[in-house]
Order: sequence, then structure tokens, then C-alpha cells
Amino acid sequence: MMDLTWYLLGVLTGISALMLRYLAARMQLTLVTWGGLLAGIGALLFCIAWAVGAYLEGVPRAAAMGLLMFVLGGIVILTVTARLIAKQNRDQQGGAS
Amino acid sequence: MSQEFDDNHTPNNDTTESVSEPVEHVDKGKRTFLKLGVAGAGVAAATAGGAFIAHKLEGTPMDDIVPPDGIAKDFKPMDQRNLILTFAGSEALNKKHPERKELFNKVLKKENPDHPEFDFRKDYKAMRTRPIRDEPGYTQLDKALQMSTMSTWKYVSHNEGNGQPGDGILNWDQSSVAKQKYKFDSKNEATLAIKSAARIYGAQACGIARFDRRFVYEPMYDMAKEETLSWDKDVPFEPKSVIVMLWEMDYHCIATAPAWTADATVAEAYTRQATGAAQMAQFLKGLGHHAIGAGNDMANSVAYGVLAGLGEGARNGHLIAPEVGCRVRISKVFTDFDFFDYAQPRDFGVKSFCEHCKRCATSCPSKAISFDDKPSLYPTYSDNKEDTWNNLSGLYKFHSDAKKCFMFWTQNGSGCAACIAACPYNKPDFWHHRFIDAQNVIAPGWVHSIMREMDIVFGYGNVADPEKVKKFWKRGSKV
Ligand code: SF4
Ligand code: SF4
Repeated sequence: MMDLTWYLLGVLTGISALMLRYLAARMQLTLVTWGGLLAGIGALLFCIAWAVGAYLEGVPRAAAMGLLMFVLGGIVILTVTARLIAKQNRDQQGGAS
Repeated sequence: MSQEFDDNHTPNNDTTESVSEPVEHVDKGKRTFLKLGVAGAGVAAATAGGAFIAHKLEGTPMDDIVPPDGIAKDFKPMDQRNLILTFAGSEALNKKHPERKELFNKVLKKENPDHPEFDFRKDYKAMRTRPIRDEPGYTQLDKALQMSTMSTWKYVSHNEGNGQPGDGILNWDQSSVAKQKYKFDSKNEATLAIKSAARIYGAQACGIARFDRRFVYEPMYDMAKEETLSWDKDVPFEPKSVIVMLWEMDYHCIATAPAWTADATVAEAYTRQATGAAQMAQFLKGLGHHAIGAGNDMANSVAYGVLAGLGEGARNGHLIAPEVGCRVRISKVFTDFDFFDYAQPRDFGVKSFCEHCKRCATSCPSKAISFDDKPSLYPTYSDNKEDTWNNLSGLYKFHSDAKKCFMFWTQNGSGCAACIAACPYNKPDFWHHRFIDAQNVIAPGWVHSIMREMDIVFGYGNVADPEKVKKFWKRGSKV
């Protein structure tokens, strides 16, 4: 089961990398927003691995707590980053017009 | 004009497209170079960080098992007659020291005037006769499991757990030492051969230490004959090396502590500890060297585990080893073979974690474990030296009151192990625990306090939890 999880996480990491490439080609990304995107996606992937690991070892509470903390953390980071990217790109478009 | 160029445009708005073209190329090149530089620095930093953490996880080599001033000038090897299990296992010692019982009962009565009279010897004999009851962990099912593993342990070595030297298959007979000595080409080859054999016997880890007189029991004590044994006169050879092996106990069974259920994995690991030590001793004899296998007997197992670089001594009195924590039993094999790459004691960051954790102390049903912030040379639970006869005094460590721990065992009807189950280092071998281990070795003390709290919030280490017993009895579905 954990092996399957690692495989799926590999696929998800690949998809995330492609999405980041797509985003980077279309949006202006700074170091901070790159950091935010990587941290947010990393937190979500980490959370999946954590939750499955904790469930498999027989501690569902740890799985639930992990989901709660890391998913929340990941979503907050990604939301803030997305807003930052949108703002920066708006500002730049405004400046360029 | 591209967005990228806009970001770096010169103030000269008159610049024509044709003129700006080379500037764009230069800036793009610079930016790419900068990005690559940042990415490269990030990769380098991550690699260096990873290597540093890996190095820390392997433990930082130390000169001795304690800091330079960590052994008192008056430090002496422990007299085995002062080991709580040896004392309680001996009729003669109880008769010789009635004051020990008297003083301990005074202490108990002071803490609780209604405390019933405690007798080391009688209560120990009655320990496993406590009646079964309708409570998870104390039913006929749990009792049967407990006694099933006890029966094989008793068969291989009836009394080594109490410290009895030369018991059962751990006897000191040297008649099977091969006449011819096997020649190893290098110390490394010899060390690897020993460790490979340990792996075959089922050891979780193996390390080789130099024989160290400070941590043997001197004198040893034969409870069957009620007589002392000396290293110089009675051991049939002069030991030079000690092979230390760790034997893992089952995570889900230990999690049921202090229920009788947990005793099953303890006794099962004791059985492997004894058979593995006997097998290793026989292997060395087959190579033409003298050897004696030991479990709890002959020397302090935790000190030897540390000397062999396998772990660190912890607040709860156990050895904490990487990956398994304190969920291990320890066996030692004394030999006169000395062509080895000896291990060094290692600092795995356990002492520092223990200073901030104290979870074992709060979980201990008998309040035997120290709540001190720092280790000390002498026990701090009592000022009266007569009351601390059972401690290895003069060594910088956390000193528990084994008398209280032992009394709880006798009331509980089995060993306890709650301090093993509660310990944040006691985790099954899953990646996320190794991840936490990795961050623990580099984190400062206040993070350790947070980690302890997180462990509780995440649901690890609860003891005396009937749900854990129920869960254990469902683990069969994984077999
Ligand atoms: S075995 Fe139980 S009683 Fe003894 S020190 Fe550990 S937790 Fe306390
Ligand atoms: S529970 Fe905490 S204080 Fe006790 S031995 Fe484990 S890490 Fe150390």
C-alpha cells in the first residue's frame, strides 16, 4: 500500500512540476511566489504520504491530525501565493499599459 | 515588449525597439544566470543539510558514554546484590537486609499512610499469580499469551532476567572452543562476520565494544547457590571484547502496556535475547575463542549498548536506539577475541530530547522515573543513601527509583513497559517517523518540547488504554 502511495506521489509530483512550468510560462513568478508554490504543493504531497503512513501503522488519529495540519497549511500557503501572483501580474500589466 | 523586459527596463523611454534588443538579451541572460545560481545554491544547501542530518542521525562519536566529568571519583562497578530483581529473587539477600524493606515501607507510608506493607521477596513470588479479570489486557486470553512466551524464555534461560549468571543456555561451559583459531584478514572482516552472524540470529542491531570493567557487576551473584562470583576468579577467561545485540519488541504489543499483553513481547524478546547470545557465543567458540553469552546478567546492558555505539541512555533507564527507540532488549557476549573495529559511543541527541520531554515520567504508574531537568551523578529522589542502594550512583544519568517500579510490577501482575510505550522515540518503522527523527537531531530544545506535545496530540504513546489492547488482538489480520 505504501509502495502504491509512493508511486502515486511520484505521478502527482510530475503533474505538479508540469503545472508549475505552465504557470511560469504564463505568469511572472518571483522568488517568493516560487517558494510559496513549492512549499504549498510540498505540504499537500507530504500530507498524503503522512496520512497514508499513519493509517497503515494503525494510528488513524495521527492520519487525521496530519491531514488537518498539513492540508490546512498547504492551502493557506497556496492561497496567499496565488493572491500574490495575481496582484503582481495585475500591477505589472497596469505598469505596462 | 515582453513582460520580462518591462521588469528591467531602462528609464530611457525614448529607447527604440532596435536599440533595446541587445539590452533585453543581456538582462535575460543575467536573470537566467541569477535563477540558475539561486537554484544551484538551493540544491547545494539542501545537499549539505541532508548530509549534515544524515551524519547527526548516525550519531556524533563521543570519547566516553558520559561527559568527562560524568563519572564520580567514588564510582564503583555495581554490586549485583543491589540489583532490584536479584535482591527480590534471593531469599538470603532479603534475610541479610531486612532494613531495606523497612525503610522502603516507611517511605511508602509517608507518601500514603494507607499503603499496604510491601515485601520484595513475597510480593515478587506472588506477582504472576494475580487473578484474571474481565478487563482488556487482564483476561484469560492475555494471560495465556503472556505465559506462552514466558514458558520458552524460562526453558532457554530460567533466570537471566533477574541477573542470574550462567543460566540455562547461557552457561559458562568452554569445552566446545575449537582447537584451531580462524584467521581473519582484517579487523573489518572480523567485525562484519560477527555482524552478519548477528543478523542471522535475528538481531535488530549489533555493535562491538571493548570490555570495560566499570560497567560489569562486581561481584556477580548466583541466586541459586546464594553466593558471589568474581570476574577474576570465576569467569573462565579474561574478556577483551563485548558483542552487543539488540532484540526488537513488537510495537503494537508494547502499546498495550502496562497490561499483561505487553509482557508477551517482552518475554518473547528475552527468549531471542538469550538464544541469540548463546548462538553468538557458540559462533566465537567455533572460531577458536572463549565466549560467554549474557542477557540481563554479568554487566549493565544499557551501558554496554552505549559503549557499542548502538544508542543512548535515556530518562526512563532504557537504551534508546535509532529507529526502534527503547523498544529493545539487549544481550551481550563476552569474548577474549579482540581483532575488531571497535565501535564508539555516539550522541544521537537523546539526552537533550529527554531533558525537555519527561513523557515517560508522567506516564509511569509508580512515579519511579525522575522529573529532573538535567541528569545527575547521584539519585535525587532521596537524600538518604540507605534508600538508594539500588542505583548505579556516581554516573551522570537520570536515576529512577527501581524499587517503586518493581513494586508496581508485583501489583500489576506482570512487567510494565509503560515508559517504553509512552516514549516518543518508540515508533514503528514508517518513513514519517524517520523524518521526525531527522528533524529532532538538529532541532533546539524548545522544539523537543513541542514535539512531545505533538506526539500527544497526534495520538501516540497513550498508556493503560484498553483500545490499544483491542487493537492488538486485531493485528492478526496482517499476518
Ligand atoms: S516499567 Fe512501568 S513502573 Fe517501571 S519505570 Fe517504567 S513506567 Fe514506571
Ligand atoms: S519518554 Fe521522553 S524523557 Fe522519557 S525516555 Fe523517552 S524521550 Fe526521554
